[in-house]
Order: sequence, then C-alpha cells, then structure tokens
Amino acid sequence: MTSRIPHRGTRGWFAAAGCILLLCACKGDSPPEARVRPEVPEPPAEACQATSGDPGTVTLHRLNRAEYDATVRDLLGDTSHPARDFPTDDHGYGFDNIADVLSLSPLLMEKYAAAAEKLVEEAWVRPGATPRVCELDPTAPEPCAREILSRFARRAWRRPVTEEEVDRLLRFLPLAKQHGDPPEAGVKLALRSVLLSPHFLFRVEKDPDPSSTEPHRLTAFELASRLSYFLWSSMPDEALLQAAEQGQLGTHQELEAQVRRMLADPKAQALVANFAGQWLFTRALDSAEPDRTLYGAFNEPLRQAMRRETELVFQEFITGDHKLRDLLDAPFTYVNDPLAAHYGLPPPGTGDAFQRVDLTAHPERRGVLGHGSLLTVTSNPDRTSPVQRGVWVLEQLLCSAPPPPPPNVENLPPAVSPDMTMKERMALHRTLPQCQGCHLLMDPLGLAMENYDPIGRWRTKEVSGAPVDATGDLPDGTVLAGAEQMRRFVKDDPKLPACLTEHLLTYALGRGLSEDEQCAVREIAATAEASGGRLGDYILAIVLNDFFTSRRGGKEAQTP
Amino acid sequence: MKFKHPISRRTLLRGAGAAMALPLLERMLPAAARAAEAASSARRLAVFYVPNGIHMPKFLPTGTGTEWELTPTLQSLAPVKQDVLVISGLANDPGKPDGDGHHAAGTAAFLTCTKAFKTEGANFHAGISMDQVIANYLARASPTRLASLELGNDAGRGIGNCDSGYACPYANNISWAGPRSPMAKETRPRAVFDRLFSSGGAISQAEAARRRAYGQSILDFVREDAQVLQRQLGVTDQRKLEEYFTGVRDLEKQVEGLDTAGPACGTAPPPGEDEDPRARTKAMMDLIVLAFQCDLTRVATFMLANARSNKVYGFLGLSGGHHAYSHHQQVQANFDALARIDRWEVEQYAYLVRRLKETLEGSGTPLLDNAMVYFSSEVEDGNAHIHKNLPILLSGRCGGAVATGRHLRLPGVPLANLYVSMFRAMGIPGVNSFGTDSTGELPGFGG
Repeated sequence: MTSRIPHRGTRGWFAAAGCILLLCACKGDSPPEARVRPEVPEPPAEACQATSGDPGTVTLHRLNRAEYDATVRDLLGDTSHPARDFPTDDHGYGFDNIADVLSLSPLLMEKYAAAAEKLVEEAWVRPGATPRVCELDPTAPEPCAREILSRFARRAWRRPVTEEEVDRLLRFLPLAKQHGDPPEAGVKLALRSVLLSPHFLFRVEKDPDPSSTEPHRLTAFELASRLSYFLWSSMPDEALLQAAEQGQLGTHQELEAQVRRMLADPKAQALVANFAGQWLFTRALDSAEPDRTLYGAFNEPLRQAMRRETELVFQEFITGDHKLRDLLDAPFTYVNDPLAAHYGLPPPGTGDAFQRVDLTAHPERRGVLGHGSLLTVTSNPDRTSPVQRGVWVLEQLLCSAPPPPPPNVENLPPAVSPDMTMKERMALHRTLPQCQGCHLLMDPLGLAMENYDPIGRWRTKEVSGAPVDATGDLPDGTVLAGAEQMRRFVKDDPKLPACLTEHLLTYALGRGLSEDEQCAVREIAATAEASGGRLGDYILAIVLNDFFTSRRGGKEAQTP
Repeated sequence: MKFKHPISRRTLLRGAGAAMALPLLERMLPAAARAAEAASSARRLAVFYVPNGIHMPKFLPTGTGTEWELTPTLQSLAPVKQDVLVISGLANDPGKPDGDGHHAAGTAAFLTCTKAFKTEGANFHAGISMDQVIANYLARASPTRLASLELGNDAGRGIGNCDSGYACPYANNISWAGPRSPMAKETRPRAVFDRLFSSGGAISQAEAARRRAYGQSILDFVREDAQVLQRQLGVTDQRKLEEYFTGVRDLEKQVEGLDTAGPACGTAPPPGEDEDPRARTKAMMDLIVLAFQCDLTRVATFMLANARSNKVYGFLGLSGGHHAYSHHQQVQANFDALARIDRWEVEQYAYLVRRLKETLEGSGTPLLDNAMVYFSSEVEDGNAHIHKNLPILLSGRCGGAVATGRHLRLPGVPLANLYVSMFRAMGIPGVNSFGTDSTGELPGFGG
C-alpha cells in the first residue's frame, strides 16, 4: 500500500478521483452546491517550525453537568448527581465541555440555586461531612464560622480566598441573628452563596490585560483547575491545590508527576465517561434503536454490556502500557457471558461479570472497530451503514471527514432490485456524479466492515441471504479485504496521531481548534509519539504545551 | 390528603389532567376568584415544533378561505376545526444555511427569522425569538412566576457534530433570549412538574419575609462577586457573565414574588419517569395546560424532537429513522412513513389544542379562546430542504384577534410577518418588524 488518504485538504487523490467541483441537481430554494472537501492547505513543515505558539483564547467556562456532579462529589461528598435535573448541555466540536456553547440560561440558574440549598442542608447533617470543621459556639460563632467558610470557599473556588471575601461571607451571621436564627443558619446561607457564586459555577481564568493578545502563563491555580477538569472532570484535590500554593506547578517535572499521579487515581475514570464516551460515540448507545423484528437480539443488558466493554478497554489505556493507536487492534477485550455469546466468542463463564479475554484466536474482535457499541451506533436501525462507519473512521480517527451530502440525495438511492447486495447498492453512489467524489472515500472503509451486522454480530450472509462481500476498493486500486486489512490501513495512516491529538486537545481546552493551529497539533502529536505514544504520553504532551499552560486575551472574533 | 383551604384553586386543580367543569369551578369561588380574575382573558402562546418538515400533499388542505377540508394528516383536528387557522405559502428565508446545515439553520431561524452564524461553537449568533419577545412583554405587563417555559423531548445524543458545521445550540433550541442566549429546555416531565409545583405550601408572613431577605442577600452577594469579576474579564467572557446576571435577575424576581399563599394550584399527581415517547409527549402537553391554567406562565415552547432527529417511530410500525425517511427521494414507501409520523405529530398538537379548549379559565371561557397554539417545522420538505411554503397551523382566536376556521394561502410572504401579526394579537404595541425580512402584518390574519 503506497497511497494514503490525503491529509486534510491536500488535493492528491481527491482530484484524481474527480471530486473537484461537482454540482448537484437541486430543486427548491437551494442553489446548486459544490461537493468538494474544504480546501485547507496543509502547512508545510518549515512553516510549522515558525509558529509562535499562540495559545488562543478560552472562553469563561461554565461547569457542565458532569463537571458539576463530580465537583460536588469531591467538595461535599454528595454522590446523588444533582445535575441530572439540570437541562442538557449543548455540545460543539464533538464535546459537551466546550466553553463557547455552555450557556447559562435562567432555567439553569434556578436549578443551581435549588441545588445549592439542598446540597448545603444535606452536607450539614451528614456525619463527617466536609463543611463542619469545627463546632459553632452560639455565643461567639465567628472564629469557627471564619474557619468553615475560608476553608470551604478555597476548595470550592479552587484558589486562595481573600480576607475581604471571607468577611463578606461572614455578614450572613448577623443577618441570621436579626431574623432570630442561630449562627449555623448564617453559615449555611454563606455556603449556599459560595456554591452560587460565579467563582464556583465558572472556571475563572483572568488576563492581566483582557484586550491584549500577548500570551501569558496561567496562574498556578488556573493551571491546577485546567488539569483537574481535563483528567478528572472535577476540582483539584488537596494535593494539587497545595502544589499550586507552593509554586510547584512551574516545572515540567512537577507537572508530569501530577499528571501521573492523577491518571492513577480512580477519578481519571472521567476520561472514559466524558472523553472516550463522546470521541468513540459510546454515548450514542443510549439512543440506539435497532429494528426489533430483524435485530431482536439487541436488548437492554446487551446495550449495557456493549458500553461496558468499550469503557473497560479504554480504561486500560489510561494507565496501561498500550500505545493509543492500539485502540484500533488491541489484542484483548472485556466481555461477560451474554456479550461473548453475541460475538461468538467462548463465554468466560462469569455470568454477567466482565472478564478480560485474549483475542489472539479472534482477530475479528480486536480493537474498537470490533466493538458492538461502535458497530451499533454507526448503523441504521434496519441495516448496516457503510457510509456512517466510513465517516466515523474519517472523522474520529483521521480528521478527514468529507462534507455532508447535498440535499435530495442524502440517503441510499432507491435499490434497483431488492436483492441487491450492500456492495451493489453502494456502487450506486458512484453512478451519481454529485455523490461519487466523497463516497469513493467513505464507502470502501465501511464496506470492509460489512461482516459486522447492525448490532455487531459477525456474519457471512446479508439479510437477503447473499454472501457478504467485505471488500472496499480504494480509488487508487488498493483493495481492503475485510476489517482486519482496513484496521491496519487506518492504523498506519500518518494522520492518525494528529487526529487523536486534535480530539484530545479540543476536550482538554474546551474549545474548537482552528485550521491555523494544525501545526501545534502535529507538534504535540510528534512529541507524544516520540515518548511512547500511550494515552498518558499524549496527555502529557498536551499539558506541557503552551496551549495548555498559557492563555491570552483579545478582542472578540467577528460575527455578522 | 389534607387541604389547608377547602375551597382553593389547589383543591380545584387536584387531579390535573382531567378536564375541568364549569359548575365545579363556580362552587370553588370566591376563593379562586382573585387569581382567576387576574388570569382571565390573559393572552397566552404555545409553540409546537416538529423536525424534518412535513409531507405536504397529505397535510395541506386544497380549499382556501372558510371552504376547506381536513386532510388525512389533519384528521385529529376535526373536533377543533373551527379553532384552527391553516396558513400555507409562508417562507422563512433566513433559515437558509451557508452551504449545508438546513436543519440547524432552519431551527435557529424557526422563531427568530434571523440567519444563524455558521460555526461549530465559537461566536454562535442567532436572534431573539418571537416567544421571548412576547414573554418579555407579558412579564413586564403582568408578571407570572415564570416568564416562559421551554420544553422538549430530546436531551440530545451529545456526540459528533449537530449539522454540517452548525453548532448544537442551533439544533437543540428554538427559544432565544438574545442572539447568543439560547433558552435551555427541560426534557423530563417530572423535572418540569417539580419546578412548577414543588415550591412548598402556604407560609406565614414572617416566614415569607425571612425567605425574601435571605434569598435577596445571597443574590446580592453573588452579584457583587460577578461585578468585581466582570471588570477583570475580556469581552467574550463578559458576555458569558451577562448570562449569569440575567439568571440572577430572574431569581430575584422569583424571590420578590414569594407569596404567603404558596403555589396558586398544584398537587396534581406528578408525571412518571416513563420513557415511552407517547407518554412523555402527553405529559408535556398536560404540563403546558396546567401551567397555563394555574397562570404560572403565559408562554410555552415545545420541541417534539431536536432538529434533524432520526428518531425511530417503532410504535407506529416504522423501523427507519425520521430523518432518513424525510430524505424520501420521491419513494412512495418513504412518503407513507412520513405521513404516518406527521399524522402522529399533529395528533399530539391536536391533543394540546383540545385540552386548552376543554379547560376553562376562572371566567368560564376556554383557555384556547385567549390563546394561540402555533405548529410548524424548520423546513417544508426534508428531502430538498425547502424553506418556503412552511407547514403552519395556528389554533385559538387570541381574544378575537385571529380569524380561525380558515385556510389562508400566502405564497412567498415572509414567516416573520406572521410573527408581527402575532405580536399584535398578543396586544404588544409598536412592534412592526421582526427578524431580518419582515415587511409588515400578515394580510387576512384577523379575518
């Protein structure tokens, strides 16, 4: 194999495939549109060396639902997931922790106020709960109240609090007294205020000069929060806060030690739920609805098992000694008996409990592309979708997704005969000039996965009884015969490291990346690969980069 | 069950969901009179959004004026036909995207008639929505507990991109407080119920005063925090903080409005946690009726599903996704599937309209008489993504401002003109334009 899918925007074989300016025939009020992939020139290597390392701007970041829940868990010991009642966060750039789209509606503010009251009331009476670090003396409550509030606010606001801030919080004591309430009522009002303050609800980062585009390093506390919300979706713990206080986050060694420590902590599970869940589309399993008559084998336990498999596999990558790209063909997985049966693997004999299994004898289940979760969420309810599977690979693994289809032709063309195989139906895409440019790229990748049915079972026959033809023909004549060859093809693609970086960096910063930041992305990817290519190496390469450790102000970008 | 006040609206409304009979209402007077009179003849608006367009051949009546017949898709409106105004031909040109993204751009423009700025996230920008213009006006004129209620069925899948380079706020919200402030919606009926009715029972004057003082102090504290912070932030961050200030102001109004009587009505049985879309949709419709009936809000919006929804309507015997069917490619089987979905959607809308007609205000008139219930989608046809000839139903006479029982054909007229007429119907003076392409009122709207 010599030919590769072109890097974002390079012309190479796309032009050869005839996808220059293909017009679609439209009716209605849509003007004819060009079906080309965006032409973004790939920066030449020498241009990349000259980049200034502008860290860009990160908008004031409201805690999303996952972050709110994890933060109150660590702050108050409350594990009841109060944010479940909050409205769903919008997402952007593939993640729901993107600051720009994390709006704060009046509805959400109302929920915050209600949650703050409930959280404080419950934490106050919970034995050993964190806010009550001393006993309030009814006659002279102030010393203890000061202790409670300064400690709590420091943790909740993830930074030292000023004397003046604590004084303001203490004003709730005389207010309570004035209404005939005991001092603890005043302290509880102050605690509620801490939880409703913008310093708690937002991850505040300041610029010395908000209008200056000159980059500057984050403060130690801002950096500590970036780190903890990246790895834990939660507030810094005491060790991290103290490291920040003692100025220990200034060196690469210290940062690296913190990252290693934090990844080893169970709280790094947040990367599974919040990063991998969105990057690998595991979250979409919730709304997957395979057709019951054709795929009745799909049920709730199986849905849960599929999700669990992908979570457990990814979890191993957090601290394990795997290269991140091995996610594509990891020679192990986790199954329980029902999932093993679904896959045609020997059941581990553990019932509903999951067991790590070796896949040496079952190469078809290696890597995420063999997971029922991904195979299900990239299918239509009633049939596989080579297009969705191809687009997933291009978008999530190679960051080379083609533009969406034009109006009027978004679905499969009507089959000429109901007996047509999937491969024959896909071939119809090539008969439509407005489709072929992009489908020449997507379809072969998906077709090579045709041995997996819409709920991820291995099959050799299509629903119609026709034998599955799991070969994808790339435009240059290369043939991908089956999922194994396709996996290797993708794994060897030089764009893979930069694409993994792009998704991880988007999540780490909570902002989208612009085209002119591709140099930095490739630089981080190269660093990560050079240090071993594990997830931890990628994370470290990001954390040590100026993108992560510094920020700048700047005027608002233009909108109409 | 204990009743603190045997004759109260709360008692009256116990068992919400059942239609209320006038004689019962009269027996409850005069205790209910105060609230009822204040609320009676109040104008109200409900918006019902459906994604992916409508299969128009089975939706649009052939006749116009008062001479029109219900089509197969509209059959469920038979009991309220005289209360319905069908409007065809309207165009929402601002819904056209830059390149692809018709569903998200169309949905962002659905109530704003403003072109959405194409972005995956940074600097997203639409416009204020029609319902929020109305809610703002009504809240100033005569405040209710909530200025508006935003509801929907879809929490969103939270993965991938929403629509061809358009950020997800465009696809997931129809209600916008401002160009950058989508109004998040509640997607769980139980949470809606709790929000409307869990604010506790009657309290003493002293207790109310205490709660007001405490609430106000907390808000004063956090507002001061935000003000200090604001001075240290750049423009983009200040904009985010503006949303915070808006939230604080809204909370403040609620604190100030704290009433010793407790909620005006409200021990109806809470909806269950049923995941069945039929049960959820019905629960949401009941909650809108209840919120109107208790005068907790006068403006409600509902998204049956998010833009570009590919929901599987298994209970209608369909195995494909809605969005996939909407790319029908002129195939009859897809048309049939769409017609079945459309019919179900209109049935849910008809249920809301019928409930509003059956439910009487304190003055004895049906809620529907002083309301408008608007139904439409972000596109006409989901295959070609046409933003003209939108499928529009408007029920309720809004105190006589709307001449219902007709089919009005107005080819090419901007959708924004309908909203200008709706502002007029709601009694809002002086708003003669809306969105980016309105040219005036809708001819023939009032008969």
